[in-house]
Amino acid sequence: MGATFVVVLREGFEAALLLGIVYAYLTQIGHAESRRYVTIGGALAVVASIVMGVAVSALSGPLADIGPDVIALVVIFGAVALLTWHGWWMGRHAREMRGDLQRRVDEAHASQQLWMVGLIAFTGVFREGAETVLFLWGLMTQLEDVSGWTALAGGAAGLIGAAVLGWLVFQGGRRLSVQRFFAVTSVLILFVAAGLFSSGIGRLQSMGLLPGGEPLWDTSWLLDDHGSIGGFLAGLVGYRARPSALEIIGYILYLAGATALVLPGLFGRRAPRNGNNVVEPATPSHV
Amino acid sequence: MRRLVRSSLLVIVALGTLIAPIAAAHAQDKTVEIPLTASNQAFDPAELKVKAGQAFVLVVTNNDPKKAVEVENKDLRIEKVVPAGKTVKIRVRALKPGTYIFVDDFNPSAKVKIVAE
Repeated sequence: MGATFVVVLREGFEAALLLGIVYAYLTQIGHAESRRYVTIGGALAVVASIVMGVAVSALSGPLADIGPDVIALVVIFGAVALLTWHGWWMGRHAREMRGDLQRRVDEAHASQQLWMVGLIAFTGVFREGAETVLFLWGLMTQLEDVSGWTALAGGAAGLIGAAVLGWLVFQGGRRLSVQRFFAVTSVLILFVAAGLFSSGIGRLQSMGLLPGGEPLWDTSWLLDDHGSIGGFLAGLVGYRARPSALEIIGYILYLAGATALVLPGLFGRRAPRNGNNVVEPATPSHV
Repeated sequence: MRRLVRSSLLVIVALGTLIAPIAAAHAQDKTVEIPLTASNQAFDPAELKVKAGQAFVLVVTNNDPKKAVEVENKDLRIEKVVPAGKTVKIRVRALKPGTYIFVDDFNPSAKVKIVAE
């Protein structure tokens, strides 16, 4: 039971974290009603995960060999693109909000972007979704004996545990002040995206599409990425005890580039406080 | 609408450029294929020898009628599900001499030791 609990909790944690942040984010910008986009995105991802799980079980041959790898790569790099865009957008709004704290994000401006939030929820859930489906499916087919039931109970407890973690993130995020919330989540999301980006590079290396792959250093004596803390950090910010040179370069380059894109909005100049309380017009977005 | 068409086209092109080299690499795969069987929560054989400095393909057959297996080695960034009763090919890049432990991520007590020499 303990083992299945850990497996499902680990697979579900990242999704729960992202969902918690996005739900809290929508609440913070005064768009609680738009949380349905996130719910729809997450629900569609569960459906897609089940379809993918069935497809992987039904298919065979080259499609089954490379299909999951290709989809994993698309999801990883797609998620990086979405998270970068999301961070950039949040950074910009943080700047606008400093001008007038109570002002809510412009309705039309925001709603134009909200379907993207649903897409973020989708990639977050779908990333480990198919694997979790296959794992839970395997558990459900063994219900004829007691150990099967305890294993399934462990899996269910893992799902609940992940959901509770996501809910805690949501509750915590809601209680932070708006700017602090934006600053914390923007920075966190940059690290999450950097970790994803470098893990995508690692996958390309393991598939032989990028050269290299030998670890550059080994910090497993300090913090092993197989352990609970190391594994947690691996899922969250892409910690690797034995990273390859390209993975490190990718991580740093991504972080530098994305920071240049996002942070000026977060910690940059204050919006001018005019006496007549004119708020800077939001620049039109092109997404 | 036009934007939707354009972005779907972009996605298709991107997918194509991704799949093509991988498929090509698979098609002309003359690399050694090494069979490995998973059943009863264990791998058979439990230890494999491969040539160092040479990529190979691990052909994993999951004989369990119900349980999926996830072959994983974090250092090699390999994480591949083998559904119940299926066979999946896993490309492994050229390895430096040494010992590499692959585990079943869904059942960590199942391990296979791959010795590159």
